[in-house]
Amino acid sequence: MLRKLLFATALVSVLGSGAASAETINMWVRSGIGDSFKEVVKAYNTAQQDKVELTEVPFSELVQKYATAIAGGQAPDALSLDLIYTPAFAAAGQLEDMTDWAKSLTYFGSLSPSHVKLGTYEERVYGLPLLVETSIFAWNKGLYKQAGLDPEKAPTTWQEITANAEKIRALGDNTYGFYFSGGGCGGCAIFTFTPLVWGAGADILSEDGKTATLDTPQMRKAIDIYRNLIAKDTVPAGAASDNGVNFLSITNGKIGQQSLGAFAIGTLVTKHPEIDFGVALIPGVDGKPSSFAGGDNFVVTKGTPKLSAVKKFIEYTYSMEGQKIMAKYGSLPTRGDIADEVLKGLDPRLDVAKDAIAVAKTPYTLQFNDLINSANGPWATFINAAIFGNDVDGAFESAQSEMQSIIDAAQ
Amino acid sequence: MTMPAIASSPARKRRRRSSGWQGLAYIAPAIALVTVFFVLPVIFTLWMSLHRWPLLGAPRWIGLGNYLRMFDDARFLAALGFTTHYTVVVTIAIFAIAFPLAFFVEKQRPLVSTYRTVIFLPVVVGLASASLLWVWLANVDSGLLSPLLQMLGLTERRLNLLATFDTAFLTVIVMVVWKIAGFTMIILLTGLQAIPTELTEAARIDGARPWQRFRHLTLPLMRRTLALALILSITGSILAFDQFYIMTSGGPQNRMISVVYYIFNQSFVSFNLGYGAALSIALLVILVLISVIQLWLLKVGDDRP
Amino acid sequence: MKTRSKRRARRAFWNGIAYHGVGLGTAFFFLAPFFVTILASFRPSAESGRPPLPPWPVTGFSFDAYHTLDGFGSGIWQHTINSLIVSLGTVVLTVAISVLAGYGFSRYRFPLKNVLFVLIIATLMIPFQSILTPLFIILAKLGLNNSLFGLMLIYVTLQLPFSVFMMRNAFDAVPKEIEEAARIDGARDIKLLVRVLLPLVMPGVATVSIFAFLNAWNEFLAALVLLSSNGNYTLPVLMTAVRAGRLGAIDWGAVQAGVTVMIIPCLFVFLLLQRYYMRGLMAGAVK
Repeated sequence: MLRKLLFATALVSVLGSGAASAETINMWVRSGIGDSFKEVVKAYNTAQQDKVELTEVPFSELVQKYATAIAGGQAPDALSLDLIYTPAFAAAGQLEDMTDWAKSLTYFGSLSPSHVKLGTYEERVYGLPLLVETSIFAWNKGLYKQAGLDPEKAPTTWQEITANAEKIRALGDNTYGFYFSGGGCGGCAIFTFTPLVWGAGADILSEDGKTATLDTPQMRKAIDIYRNLIAKDTVPAGAASDNGVNFLSITNGKIGQQSLGAFAIGTLVTKHPEIDFGVALIPGVDGKPSSFAGGDNFVVTKGTPKLSAVKKFIEYTYSMEGQKIMAKYGSLPTRGDIADEVLKGLDPRLDVAKDAIAVAKTPYTLQFNDLINSANGPWATFINAAIFGNDVDGAFESAQSEMQSIIDAAQ
Repeated sequence: MTMPAIASSPARKRRRRSSGWQGLAYIAPAIALVTVFFVLPVIFTLWMSLHRWPLLGAPRWIGLGNYLRMFDDARFLAALGFTTHYTVVVTIAIFAIAFPLAFFVEKQRPLVSTYRTVIFLPVVVGLASASLLWVWLANVDSGLLSPLLQMLGLTERRLNLLATFDTAFLTVIVMVVWKIAGFTMIILLTGLQAIPTELTEAARIDGARPWQRFRHLTLPLMRRTLALALILSITGSILAFDQFYIMTSGGPQNRMISVVYYIFNQSFVSFNLGYGAALSIALLVILVLISVIQLWLLKVGDDRP
Repeated sequence: MKTRSKRRARRAFWNGIAYHGVGLGTAFFFLAPFFVTILASFRPSAESGRPPLPPWPVTGFSFDAYHTLDGFGSGIWQHTINSLIVSLGTVVLTVAISVLAGYGFSRYRFPLKNVLFVLIIATLMIPFQSILTPLFIILAKLGLNNSLFGLMLIYVTLQLPFSVFMMRNAFDAVPKEIEEAARIDGARDIKLLVRVLLPLVMPGVATVSIFAFLNAWNEFLAALVLLSSNGNYTLPVLMTAVRAGRLGAIDWGAVQAGVTVMIIPCLFVFLLLQRYYMRGLMAGAVK
């Protein structure tokens, strides 16, 4: 029996390692990455001998799976990694150092700066921008019109947004003025909610990332704004338990206003042409706008034998052709030098998202997952407790201390 | 090698002589699998639990550090507390439903086997499928329960069942009862059916009321079955994970993190593999203790050398 | 006389009403979620986001939800086939290994017999979630990670305590005389086991098979962690992707369709082989 078993084992491994002359790059992306990257891969696979094989991993499991795969020596060649994780993975020594090659690219200096910053660890470059994503504010022009609001005028303060939300809510049963994923989606909240605080000059972590600075007057004000939106019944009840799966609720046509990612522009334009919408920057609590620069970095697993093939593919995504395909499906250009040309003739609303890059911030911390992104981390808990709970002070206090203890434990 | 046809005793003797190795050969595949996929991993887990073992990077020996850390890890203690709370509530709920059901399906009556089958159906679907099914039913916008409650006039507006701890907890309990009650019912049924009918009849003729019969006759005679059903329910509940992971992602404000969920988070989200391993070992000790109690209650092992 | 029998008949009638009333009510509670989901999965996509009141399709029967579901991963067929391969493979291996082990434990004496038996049973006590990382690493060392075969081996291991226990009891119940007679006829070892004894323990084999099938078909976490390419995902892993939604919106139609695809085989297998399933359960409960 055992011999049979071993034989079967051997058979499986032989079948598994069938080699081909053209390289096939195994690459993982998170589910919900949107069409833009898939389209680039499709174009690449039809035009080139090398093939890129995408595996979609549920977004909430991607980091776990990748880390486990590395531990088991079975990681994919490359990965589209949420850029905020790049420092942690680079610090752990699992990513290929691409410094020399990256710096030899003529357009290296014009690649999205926050991506390169997060892709850099101790002066070496481990991650390069793949998808650039900024958060923006969107409103449904059709509902604005119905509610008697000027559909072309972007709201610039939260007072205005709240007032508009109430008017839209007044339209009827299933129409709501505002939406956000408030049930344990740390990633959603950091993306759409912190710009309120950043715009006003505060932050949730100190500059060096070593102190949690959650409890600021600005944050209190921001929380009050959201609590007020809920108190006025402008937010659907589902928001309280939405852990991010319904992040794009605006696509159902019943949501008047929502803070979104730029990728949503592409989704809305291509999949929901029936929805007419406007976009603007997300106002801070005092009206000064800000944004979250997010998206994905392209990282390469250390020691992959297919490095040159991977590099070739990266260069393709940076080419005018690759950039145009991605932009067409709603991803912002990663190269600043050709951004204007890439976006030429495309939806003008993408320009707003591109301009957001200038005011955007990204937190740099090795504990991003534990602090912010984990559905069971302090930030996600804080958002839900402070906005939906009854004890705001308690929410601030426990989140502040838990964040600090996570930071301290990692030192 | 023809056997002498006279008696079976030489045959048995011969078998006993050669059987040592033959017997081992028969169980070898099972032992091999258990060794590779159970014993080794457990030993490895024990080894890991003595290290600070990040997923990426080199492990560092820290002795009992992980075990000491457990005692002032507020989140672990909270998970332990929640798991206990859940185990108690869900076990009571399951028994409160399953016991009457067992009585209900005990006697041979028309359609009784159909009722048994129907009540048992949810047991055979996976916990993951059941959780998915119920997370939809409990969804505030597209599900069944909230709109139904509103339609029946029980709530003024649509209630988001999964948004507050109490309602979300209740939803999970209802789902688990739906899923498990049939199982407990069948276990209890075997116990009920093992009680000789003459005894109950005699008690009835002696004028014992139903409750008295239940309290003084049925319950004591079902001690073993009850213990088994209880233990199965308790062990199952202590290991609860799928329902919280799929239905509530840890619940409103992290208040539904069970122990296994916390271990999963430590190991596969925060990548503190060493600490996760230590927590696993702690859970293992708890379960072994419960199993010891189980063996003691059931006195299994007496009947077989 | 007549009135008494009439009264008795009336009482029996009302008892019957009460009995079936309770029975139907209970049956409704346990069946309704299935019916609602299965019916709702046939609603057209325009309806799928709405509450299932009523649960059946209002504007016409449609397979939209199944088409949407098919759009996830490598298509629903691929994942269903993966799940079938894993489940049926688990059944075959579990039966083979547990029949051998059950026979060995029932009929032979050898050193450490009880210790080894307890060792196999002890597998039940470990939350296998907690040894996932080592399992992953061991599979990788064997070159079996991200393979359905590797997953199968894990499932078989998880099934062993129950199955070996069942099969040992099944062989215990076979009278020794049958075996002796067969030996006299010249049957030996494996041949004896397969030709003579196996038919006698078939009910036990059926029980073991059903449990192996259902558990392998439904398992979620190990599959999630141990499989790492789209093409290999089993249905429950596919469902996490469906549950996670796409493009920031969850498609409840696809969830309903997926749940339907996942539960139908379970219900089917159970209803078909109910007798053996219950027997296994009772055997476990009595012991």
